[in-house]
Amino acid sequence: MTVRNRGALAAVAAGAAALTVAAVVTIASRPTAEVGADEVTALASTTPSAAGDRSPVPVRKGELPTGAEVVPPVGLRIPTIGVTATVNAVGINPQTNEFEVPPSVDQVGWYRYGPGLAAPAGSVVIAGHVDSSTQGEGAFFRLRELDQGDKLTVTGSDGQERAYRVIAREEYQKTKIPLDRYFARDGDQRLTLITCGGPFDADTRRYRDNLVVTAVPA
Amino acid sequence: MQRSYFRRVAAGGAVAALTLVGVGALTATPAYAATAEVSVVHGIPDTPVDVYVNGEKTLDNFAPGDVAGPLSLAEGAYDIALTKPGEPVDSAILTVDDAEVPGGTNISLAAHLDASGQPKITPFVNDTSKVDAGKSRLIVRHTAAAPAVDVRAGGAPVFTELTNPNEAKADVDAGGVSADVVLAGTETVAIGPADLDLGEGTATIVYAIGSAEANNLEVVAQTITGLHSAPAGVPSGNGGQAATGTNTWLYLLAGAGALLLVGGGARVATARRSNR
Repeated sequence: MTVRNRGALAAVAAGAAALTVAAVVTIASRPTAEVGADEVTALASTTPSAAGDRSPVPVRKGELPTGAEVVPPVGLRIPTIGVTATVNAVGINPQTNEFEVPPSVDQVGWYRYGPGLAAPAGSVVIAGHVDSSTQGEGAFFRLRELDQGDKLTVTGSDGQERAYRVIAREEYQKTKIPLDRYFARDGDQRLTLITCGGPFDADTRRYRDNLVVTAVPA
Repeated sequence: MQRSYFRRVAAGGAVAALTLVGVGALTATPAYAATAEVSVVHGIPDTPVDVYVNGEKTLDNFAPGDVAGPLSLAEGAYDIALTKPGEPVDSAILTVDDAEVPGGTNISLAAHLDASGQPKITPFVNDTSKVDAGKSRLIVRHTAAAPAVDVRAGGAPVFTELTNPNEAKADVDAGGVSADVVLAGTETVAIGPADLDLGEGTATIVYAIGSAEANNLEVVAQTITGLHSAPAGVPSGNGGQAATGTNTWLYLLAGAGALLLVGGGARVATARRSNR
């Protein structure tokens, strides 16, 4: 075999290898298939009250409202993806009107205006960074690996641990995500974890999508 | 704020017509919304009553300072009568005939004293539009036999020159605030101070009731929940390490690989032919 021939064969081999790598990476990084979207929709729907026309009119003392008892989550553990994170109570960024995810990417934020752990209904929302340009991988870097049936544990400020089971993983473009459904204060009790995902725009330094994982009490 | 689109005609002991002129047009009631949510607020001191709606007893021994409802009423006209507890409806102490209840609205009927101390019923349409995330709606209604007042939060006036039977409102940051009511333009405290816990996504409606002369001014509060909005977004990453979707470098790699395959394959074939 000539030297020239060997060079050509090497080129063929290198080409095949490059194609294989490109194909494998493309497949591996494809948006993860969504699971459980119907279950999430069902949880958000509220049962119409069965109160009839003849039910007595409720009467209350017109006292000034006092703060309702709320149990904030303080810790989150997701063994499947190696997450052990502190949960901070956070609200709204007044400049952007957006969820104020804790700036420290190893911590996650609970939406303090929504339901707490003891709420009888609605969605407890915890959001965390997938990553940061300055701090690297965030607490929710591997959130997209969660699948139906995975377990997670939330510790409340009351010291009690509450177990949840993942029922859905969904991905939405940020312009299309139905946030009202995930920040609902009615419907079944559920835990909603949110982070960023999808393609990344290096110019605006923004991800296109939000990744949403829904869990219910185990 | 003057609810000028109400015509309120009601007086103690007298039969009066009550209309909510133009409310339906103003709130752009959807066609399907044929019911209204109606609450009743009792702001007449020392006078428990029975409340009749269209001649039917709806509230029994309704006490001053209490809030009843909400009651879902089909849109239409209603006769409302207040009697002393146990007395027949035809000896009512305060009646309102043909009160228009437009569909799709949320209304509070306040039984209270007018500025001169006479009992009356005033309908207020409650603003149940959504508040922004993180906000709470504070509505203050002057329904007391008292002159104009200012409402202060944390010592600073938030509403000024409020007179009976009008309301003032604002969407404010949710959370706790210490509030009081002073005679307009003065530091003379008429009510409070009281700690208000303004829940996010709710409307807190505070009625000033009673009589300055009788020295029994106080407040009654009504809360409407479910007015919350979701945050505008959840920004939770700016590193790009977790990006999915095919990146440019992968296309370059695949392209180079294809070129090498084709080029290399052609050369191999050529070499084989020439070696034959």
